[in-house]
Amino acid sequence: MSAPVVVTGIGVVSPFGWTAEAFWDGLVAGRSALAPVRRFASRAPGRLSGEVPARATGELARSPVGRRMDWTSLMALGACRLALADAGLAADAVPGERMSLALGSAYGNLQETATFLDRLFARGIGNPLLFPNMVFNAPLSYVSIELGIRGETSMLSMLEVSGEAAIAWGVDAVASGRADACLAGGVDELGEVLHRVLEAGGELAAGAPRPFGADADGVATGEGAGVLVLERLDDARARGARIHARIRAPLGCSVPAPVHGWPRDAAALAARLVPAVRDADAVFASASGSPSHDAIEAEALMRVTHAPVTALRGALGDFGAAGALVAAAAARAVAAGTIPPTLGLGAPRAALDVVRGTARQTPLRSAVVTGLARGGLVRMLRFDAV
Amino acid sequence: MITGVGAVSALGPDVPALRAGLVAGRDGIGPLALFAYRGRADTAAEVADVPRGPWDLPPAAVRRLSRPDRFALAAGEEAIREAGLDAGTRSEAALIVGATTGGMFETEEAYRRWRAGATPRLAVSRVLGTSLATSGVAVSQAFGVFGPQETVATACSSSALAIARAAELIVRGSVAAALAIGTDGLCRLTYAGFDALQALDPERCRPFDRERHGLTLGEGAGALVLEDADHARARGARVLARLVGWGTATDAHHPTAPHPDGRGALAALRAALAMAHRSPEAVDYVNAHGTGTPQNDAVEAMVLRTVLGERLERIPVSSSKSQFGHTLAAAGALEAVVTTLALRDGILPPTLGLRAPDPAWAGVDLVTEAGRHAALGVAVSSSYGFGGHNVTLALARGDVA
Repeated sequence: MSAPVVVTGIGVVSPFGWTAEAFWDGLVAGRSALAPVRRFASRAPGRLSGEVPARATGELARSPVGRRMDWTSLMALGACRLALADAGLAADAVPGERMSLALGSAYGNLQETATFLDRLFARGIGNPLLFPNMVFNAPLSYVSIELGIRGETSMLSMLEVSGEAAIAWGVDAVASGRADACLAGGVDELGEVLHRVLEAGGELAAGAPRPFGADADGVATGEGAGVLVLERLDDARARGARIHARIRAPLGCSVPAPVHGWPRDAAALAARLVPAVRDADAVFASASGSPSHDAIEAEALMRVTHAPVTALRGALGDFGAAGALVAAAAARAVAAGTIPPTLGLGAPRAALDVVRGTARQTPLRSAVVTGLARGGLVRMLRFDAV
Repeated sequence: MITGVGAVSALGPDVPALRAGLVAGRDGIGPLALFAYRGRADTAAEVADVPRGPWDLPPAAVRRLSRPDRFALAAGEEAIREAGLDAGTRSEAALIVGATTGGMFETEEAYRRWRAGATPRLAVSRVLGTSLATSGVAVSQAFGVFGPQETVATACSSSALAIARAAELIVRGSVAAALAIGTDGLCRLTYAGFDALQALDPERCRPFDRERHGLTLGEGAGALVLEDADHARARGARVLARLVGWGTATDAHHPTAPHPDGRGALAALRAALAMAHRSPEAVDYVNAHGTGTPQNDAVEAMVLRTVLGERLERIPVSSSKSQFGHTLAAAGALEAVVTTLALRDGILPPTLGLRAPDPAWAGVDLVTEAGRHAALGVAVSSSYGFGGHNVTLALARGDVA
């Protein structure tokens, strides 16, 4: 059984702010969400990060245990609450045991993990108050508690396709009838340690990242959460819900690649992309400004599409679950007939129709998110106008 | 159909060693040796020899692999080999991995040296190797498993969920075969964290015992090849056991404590039996979650009594964590491998360390002595994760309709 599934709610927590509107308006206006990092001292003037504005836990967490949640969990909860509100789903509209939750994160709670380890190394003991937040699925746990979600819940960790993978899980949960509604998306946070590691490894751009740029010199670090409410088309229609788009999650796959690096065979990647991308009206690419990543994606896309392509990590920065925010944008794009531009791009690296400068207004029947991760992971999502 | 299994645990480097350990009642728990730690507890179930391959990966990539990556590679390789999956089947097969800490142990080492100023820069490879997804990626690239891949993390139920997910993909016709793996390695973060929560038994875990004080951490990997029945039959595969039902449910209650009424655990067990079309009367063996913490034991006893009723007092129950520790993300898969062996060979795995059962388990046939045998038709294996993520698997002997 595989019923059509639609997106009825979108929630986004991004450097643009704690609403999907701020996110979408910023992208469409061609604004960058990147700025010099404030959370910790920068060592490189001019280096940019996408940092989500601070928010008090008490504004969003309502359960007693929820007051202790970490920043990653808080962003996830924020996006989930926004998505439910956008879907017009009251807290009790779907019984808890028929509600599902799938969240993706590449690295989870980076900041508190460092704090925990610092104390452990200094004093030889762990902090019992902090440890529950170290458990990788803490966001899944906190959100399920806050929202009373008692059906199937899953945390996925899939490097740069963590968000797409979780959304794909959610599509399956709803399509198969295991749940009546699923909150599905991803979250990752900006932590100093990861930032320093990427900096030391030469992976960060000196200034603004330039996805698909011939002169790309690295990525910008970032953070955020993007969550979709997924329901079966019939259920959404029956309750008179506003439908953003229909969503399909083609089966994921992987291509030969170094275990810790990007794939190198464009033809093999193109063969995997072609079924979903071939007739798409727009491609929301994963290009981030990382030269080796962007090169292989550009080469593969060139072989399979003439459609306009955009890469939003130029505006948002690059982080594990960024694909969930890209998916949220793609769902909006199909409904609005608008493709937000790729920022930072001078001369494109390849013969691709990359949307640059200003947003492109064009009727869209479909948009495909092409998620690509180190280790050859490929995870696509397709959004069709309803 | 389960057509291949693989295992790396404190009982040994492969399934034959695990099986021999189950039959002999070997104790995999000993002094914690992997790192220095001064706290309330000092025992663990460590894997003595970390697998070294050879695998079909570049030497530079192999050097960067974490312990859980290596456990996953060894267990995955054994399961694939035992199932006899050819390259064509592998290239289309799904790969679903359960993980919770990835390369945390190696990251801790690098992080400490960096913080102490011993190294000017934190090694990129070490920290990026922390990713939970790396074990799956390594398995995929080493053995050419290029179908849908997912790494799931729901704490101690991670790999039970991975098995359920792999089975879903097969039942829905998305793939003909899937490799499900659970892998985890000891690290300071989890050891100190569980100890800080007073969840570790200072000596060793004693599941179901009146004097139980907590769990003992272990490490390793379990792997299962799941296969569509027609596909397995067409290629003449040996069927070790069958996965006939699975259920998942969430407590939505507390980040570390189980729901006091076992809300999610009850729903998961009931759902697994319902999907298997089996009444409680059909269950012949329970491989319990059995961590050895007072909270888990109390809730699990209640859940089993509620669902299985009087049947519970007529069937054997054991906790494999008493032999190879609580392997966290690997627990669901390793215990599914144990349950598969129990069904196939009629072995009843023992519960070590159990002296006087807690009153909550009164009347239950808790298997304490090694080497017992019984013909089993259907067994259930439950995994309950921190955060309230519960998964129950129902397995049947390969030749039982």
